[in-house]
Amino acid sequence: MTQAEVFEVVKKNIRDVLFNLEGQEIPLAASLKELGANSIDRADIAVQCVEDLQLKIPMIEFAGVQNIEGLVALLTRKVNA
Amino acid sequence: MNIGIEAINAYGGQTSLDIRTLFKARGLDLERFANLLMEKKAVGLPCEDPVTNAVNAAKPLIDQLSETDKNSIEVLITATESGLDFGKSLSTYVHDYLGLSRQCRLIEVKQACYAGTAALQLAAGFVASHPFPNTKALVIATDTARGAAKQTYAEPSQGTGAVAMLISRQPDILALDFGANGLYSYEVMDTCRPRADIETGDLDLSLLSYLDCLEGAFQAYTARVDGADFQSTFDYLAFHTPFAGMVKGAHRKMMRANGKRLPPNEIEADFQHRMGPSLTHCVQVGNVYSATVYLALCGLIDQAIIEQPRRVGLFSYGSGCSSEFYSGIVTAASKAKLSQMKIGQKLANRHELSMAEYDPILDLNMEWLFGVQDKVMDVEPYAAIYEKQLQGQGLLVLKAIEHFHRVYEWS
Repeated sequence: MTQAEVFEVVKKNIRDVLFNLEGQEIPLAASLKELGANSIDRADIAVQCVEDLQLKIPMIEFAGVQNIEGLVALLTRKVNA
Repeated sequence: MNIGIEAINAYGGQTSLDIRTLFKARGLDLERFANLLMEKKAVGLPCEDPVTNAVNAAKPLIDQLSETDKNSIEVLITATESGLDFGKSLSTYVHDYLGLSRQCRLIEVKQACYAGTAALQLAAGFVASHPFPNTKALVIATDTARGAAKQTYAEPSQGTGAVAMLISRQPDILALDFGANGLYSYEVMDTCRPRADIETGDLDLSLLSYLDCLEGAFQAYTARVDGADFQSTFDYLAFHTPFAGMVKGAHRKMMRANGKRLPPNEIEADFQHRMGPSLTHCVQVGNVYSATVYLALCGLIDQAIIEQPRRVGLFSYGSGCSSEFYSGIVTAASKAKLSQMKIGQKLANRHELSMAEYDPILDLNMEWLFGVQDKVMDVEPYAAIYEKQLQGQGLLVLKAIEHFHRVYEWS
């Protein structure tokens, strides 16, 4: 899976959890916090991405992720591992 | 083997603060406030500490016991991350003010919010292995967030209070499914109390670790209990609830595990039905750390419709971390017995603080942290609240500290 494909999955789940982002761009460099996500939202987004990508990994691996780019990079690495 | 909680009571303080008011006053972002599912939190007064909370939770249980039953309490375990001395445990003070027998073990256990469950399980094992069937254990989970930093996202969730439980072979409140325990523990630095004045850590890491532990502990439970299924084995669920929004996410994750893709409205309906009752008191008190999962159990028993025996799935998580998924049976008699404690009514009778009252109380609380050597209590700065909530109520309050020794009195 390419990074671009994983980014699409991430974007879908960000829009799903933060349902008020309609029509708004989701830049790779943004942080979830900047988009308005609280700690529950951030965990939900990570959980849903892991489910969609059918990964079996500890969720605490997402704790150090700083922005969407980091989230996409981590997921891409895991999908292709 | 029929062992479990014979009696239970929760104490959620004398004052509360509306969380929306706190968010506004602190300039915290309200835009996505709704999914945190927070309503109020309990706030401790300077004359309240983990000892007074413990005694005020336990006394109604002890007062109901005959002298013989009272003397059959052979171990008192306090579970806390708000200890007041490195050596002397809170249980020594609690034992004294409850007037328990001297033929009793006094100890304290610590493992963040898991400690209440650790104490319960140790007590159940103690009772199970005891040659005398009437032996009882008293477990009191008591915690407070008095050192809480203002202006943080943790502030709204940090509460104060205690839950007291009598453990015996007469489990009127919750009969444990003996041996049905799933454990999951590993070292992680998510939240901690490295100094007396701070609670710190990484909230995101803690949330994620909670989710890993729930999954791991439940898997371990299913390895012990043939055919156990998250969706169908448990009539009700009660989880450690730092704030209600957190358990909602955890429930959703478990409902979607193993590739099951239930529609969101079905997951929501299941959450409302099986977990909603457990949030009843939690959303009025906030996080009481080691006591929280038992506050959830009290809410469940008080709020759920229990006409026949019902199986409850319980999950306990303590940062650092240790966790456990276990289960037990509640009955109509559990509900009748707990209703005598009037927990909901007592929470509703608390004084609701304004921000103008709350901030000075927090500042005063900071003067009574761990390590104070000599100090006399002055209730004057909050005299009106003291008079309204405590005066003449027969509750335990802190009077002074004399060369590190805490001196209490009945209000």
